[in-house]
Amino acid sequence: MNVIPYGDSALLLNFEQNIDEKINQEVIAWEKCFREFAEGIQFIIPAYCSLTVGFDTTQTSFEELKDWILHQESLISLKQENTASSIKYIPVCYEEIFALDKEEVQKQTNLSWESIIQLHTNRVYRVFMLGFLPGFPYLGKVPEKLYVHRKRIPSLQIPARSVGLAGFQTGIYPSEAPGGWQIIGRTPISIFNPAQENPFLLQAGEQIQFYVISKSKFEKMQKEICIDISKVHD
Amino acid sequence: MTELKVKVIKAGMFTLIQDLGRGGYQQFGIPVGGAMDRQSARLANQLVGNPENTPVLEITIMGPTLEFSSNCQIAITGADISPKLNQQEIPNFQTIDIAEKSILTFGRLRQGCRAYLAIGGDWQVHRFLGSCSLLSKQKEIFPKGSLLQKGDELCIQSSEKTPIQKVENPYQDRLLNPIIIRVLPAPEFDWFSRKAIASFFSQDFQISPDSNRMGYRLLGKNIEWNTSKELISSGIILGTVQVTAEGQPIILLADAQTTGGYPRLVNVISIDLDILAQTKPGDWIRFQLLT
Repeated sequence: MNVIPYGDSALLLNFEQNIDEKINQEVIAWEKCFREFAEGIQFIIPAYCSLTVGFDTTQTSFEELKDWILHQESLISLKQENTASSIKYIPVCYEEIFALDKEEVQKQTNLSWESIIQLHTNRVYRVFMLGFLPGFPYLGKVPEKLYVHRKRIPSLQIPARSVGLAGFQTGIYPSEAPGGWQIIGRTPISIFNPAQENPFLLQAGEQIQFYVISKSKFEKMQKEICIDISKVHD
Repeated sequence: MTELKVKVIKAGMFTLIQDLGRGGYQQFGIPVGGAMDRQSARLANQLVGNPENTPVLEITIMGPTLEFSSNCQIAITGADISPKLNQQEIPNFQTIDIAEKSILTFGRLRQGCRAYLAIGGDWQVHRFLGSCSLLSKQKEIFPKGSLLQKGDELCIQSSEKTPIQKVENPYQDRLLNPIIIRVLPAPEFDWFSRKAIASFFSQDFQISPDSNRMGYRLLGKNIEWNTSKELISSGIILGTVQVTAEGQPIILLADAQTTGGYPRLVNVISIDLDILAQTKPGDWIRFQLLT
């Protein structure tokens, strides 16, 4: 792990540069450690294999924090013990009306739509990080067979709550936005709702699994105000 | 305390209600937001006796027309957009007493890019995560009212008057082209060749018309890097200069996304972000490396 200065009031912890669950667990362990024990911290941005930490220069400094990190390093493995969260279940309708890039994904993967849905829902994904848009989760890794390229020219308007694929990642658009991910379905659940007391459904380090719903179920769920995502809804 | 209403007769080109932003939510992908020129926003509030995080109007290039329902105090800092009160020119950087039914207008942009208008008192605004700053990239204007529109009415519980204060314009000599912007090496500085780095620091860049609160795109000779090397998305902070695959540098600013996948070449030092906020498309800047 490297500790690098980043601007005049932030630092970057760089881990082994790989998209990997173990490495990301370390990132999240360090995030928690900073939140609980470090002083003078203004913001923390966990990413796949790095942690950006902004600090108040009137309270601390790069050197002071670097020393603190080196001191914590010997202890962090103990704190990293199994903190696996419960799985959140997210319903997705994969029907044609929402699967805007169905054809392209079938072409690139050379798989039937049924197999694609099966592969996408079969796995528990880790929320590696949030970024790009408020509340946008980077989830992974998807099975190798589902690897697809991003669009060369991004779509101008991807509807809110669209579920997409890009490389070894899958993700959910919290709001309508331009983007290059291949869209395979849509969830009726709002993953970013600024009107709610807790606007964010997900955070880095959590686990989710998708499950299939029909279009009629989608419409019914969309009308429900609150959906319990601790279990699958038939 | 009186209830002051400020009526928006014209909204101006892009007038926002801003404060010092909503730092501390970047882990959820929420940009910091807030006034682009924080020093000027703070200064304007000081001049009318407000706490520094009180909302202000961030006025970009072309100003609004505002009507004040009752007596109050205002101060304008940052860019000089030829402010006039009831058709009489008024100075920036000082407290100004306003009589009821006064009309504030703006004219030609003489210096800078963003002016900050503070009004003494407690603003009644909508907030999200502690800030009234417009959350960009959302379909609707959010928080409500954060982008000024014709016909809007600002409600302010105006406070007691403070003695008139006056300060120097801190940018007087710093806004001459090319404007010097001081930077520190950023995490991927080593990804760039000596030649690319030399090119970056020896040329003047022009601010592209395609620049906004999310980022300033720079026009100049391309800064090359080995694009077969891939950066795994990592955190972005205020003032990060990333270089796109085509070699165009972009300075990431208040409304930028919180993570990015282009290499980060340098970072603008905090105090120079305020000066940068006073540059506009067409202006020239030159980077100076601090070591």
